[in-house]
Amino acid sequence: MRGFLDYVSGDSVPHRLNPMTKLALAFVLCAACFMTKDHMLVGGVIVCNLCLAAMAGVFDRSARVFLSLLKLAFILFVMQVFFVRQGNVLLTLPKGFYITDEGISFSLLFAMRMIAAAMPLTLMLSITRMSDLSNALVKFLHIPYKYTFVLTTAIRFIPLFSDEMIGIMEAQTARGVEFDTRSFIKKVRLLLPLCVPLLISSVRRIETGAISAELRGFNLRTRDSGYKTYGFGAIDAAAFVFCALLIYAALTV
Amino acid sequence: MISIKNLEFRYGDSEDPALRDITLDVESGDFLGIIGPSGAGKSTLTYAMSGVIPHHYKGDFYGSVEIGGLDTVQSSPEAIARHVGSVFQDVEGQLLASVVEDEILFGLENFGIPREEIEERIEYALSSSGISDLRCRTIASLSGGQKQKVAIASITALRPEVIVLDEPTGELDPQSSRRVFETLRELNHTYGVTVVIVEQKIMMLCEFARRMAVMEAGRIILEGPVREVLSHGERLEEAGVNIPRVAALSRRLREAGLYRGNTPIDLAEAETMMREVAADAAF
Repeated sequence: MRGFLDYVSGDSVPHRLNPMTKLALAFVLCAACFMTKDHMLVGGVIVCNLCLAAMAGVFDRSARVFLSLLKLAFILFVMQVFFVRQGNVLLTLPKGFYITDEGISFSLLFAMRMIAAAMPLTLMLSITRMSDLSNALVKFLHIPYKYTFVLTTAIRFIPLFSDEMIGIMEAQTARGVEFDTRSFIKKVRLLLPLCVPLLISSVRRIETGAISAELRGFNLRTRDSGYKTYGFGAIDAAAFVFCALLIYAALTV
Repeated sequence: MISIKNLEFRYGDSEDPALRDITLDVESGDFLGIIGPSGAGKSTLTYAMSGVIPHHYKGDFYGSVEIGGLDTVQSSPEAIARHVGSVFQDVEGQLLASVVEDEILFGLENFGIPREEIEERIEYALSSSGISDLRCRTIASLSGGQKQKVAIASITALRPEVIVLDEPTGELDPQSSRRVFETLRELNHTYGVTVVIVEQKIMMLCEFARRMAVMEAGRIILEGPVREVLSHGERLEEAGVNIPRVAALSRRLREAGLYRGNTPIDLAEAETMMREVAADAAF
């Protein structure tokens, strides 16, 4: 999952969409999963995500994200399936546990929704420059630049901090700390003390970033400061039509 | 260009001053190298030159720092930044965008550079740093040396009169370090940018800098043309600064009464020195 939020440059159709269109598309893909109760439609949204990723040339990354989410979805499914008591009992287990048809249906939908709702965001971040996203939010939604900068910087720092944590863990491993232990509790106990050096280095890095931004006129920025213009073209119109159809399908199916 | 008079600074949480009685003038077009052991106050001095002190780091500030006629205490960081560009030790931390082009655009947009001028400035910044081919690359995919050049380019795009760098080659291999220094020399020679650089690689500094300042315990103990500073070998060693081997050799030859000429600062000059010594010994 390393680098799954990094921007991947390209000139594909998804890349060329207006940042606001990408944001709207990601939002609609997420929202559609929660509007519908149809498994096929949610499955369709997942397939749609993978198709968009393939068009943007980031299929491998999206497939990796999908597989990682699949593991999490399986855990969610197993946890959820025992809590739904309605429906016809399909399997009776010891200690009063049983699995129903409605339980399977709901848990499957729940797990699929989690996958389908998480994928559009990572895809959108993979094909949109942070600066474009930030500038578009300022220009079109009139959100103050300071807030959009915080948002995009926070997203940008996730892989940096992840790398930092890996570096700290490798340094500790070299000193004999066994992070490869099978005990989850032991692993957590080993990882917790590492939060301190991570926090210190993160704060230091953020401070450097803040000084760097200030010395490059961050406080002088206005809504009109952005150099690039973000127009809406035919592909954006097509994307909005697709969004409208998807919402319609989610509400009616 | 930069005029520092009797500067003393103590960080808010510290008892001892980080800078003591600093008086330094940096002329326009100069290339000044600052060396000294760890904790000598080199980074603090660069902060004072870029206005980070007293605007970001608070503490007791005495004396004055003027940059292009602006007093750093009375001027805003943005006003100071129009004259001075800073590159910090932590390059990763100061890069704020995900793509090289956006990193350079960041400052230009903020300072409200006219739209028609921006493209030319981006090209100038990229070409002067020798990274025109990296324009559309993501920063995450760059090497340490390339990131350092991007950091420099993002500053040069703003066309500052002075560029202050704090150990920009700290994490780079010798070859990448040399490329960074060559970029700075290009900026200094061709575009007349004043360069102030804190550096530990003294041999490289001797090759590229015109003047050198040596710091020890918050004070500037030596300052002048590189050759002149290197001639104080004993004082430099006392301060914990490793002098280049060619300068150390000339000092020993001088102490032995075998050489009276100038202190060499590179291998070619050392060769000339040794030829002179050999010729004298032959007579």
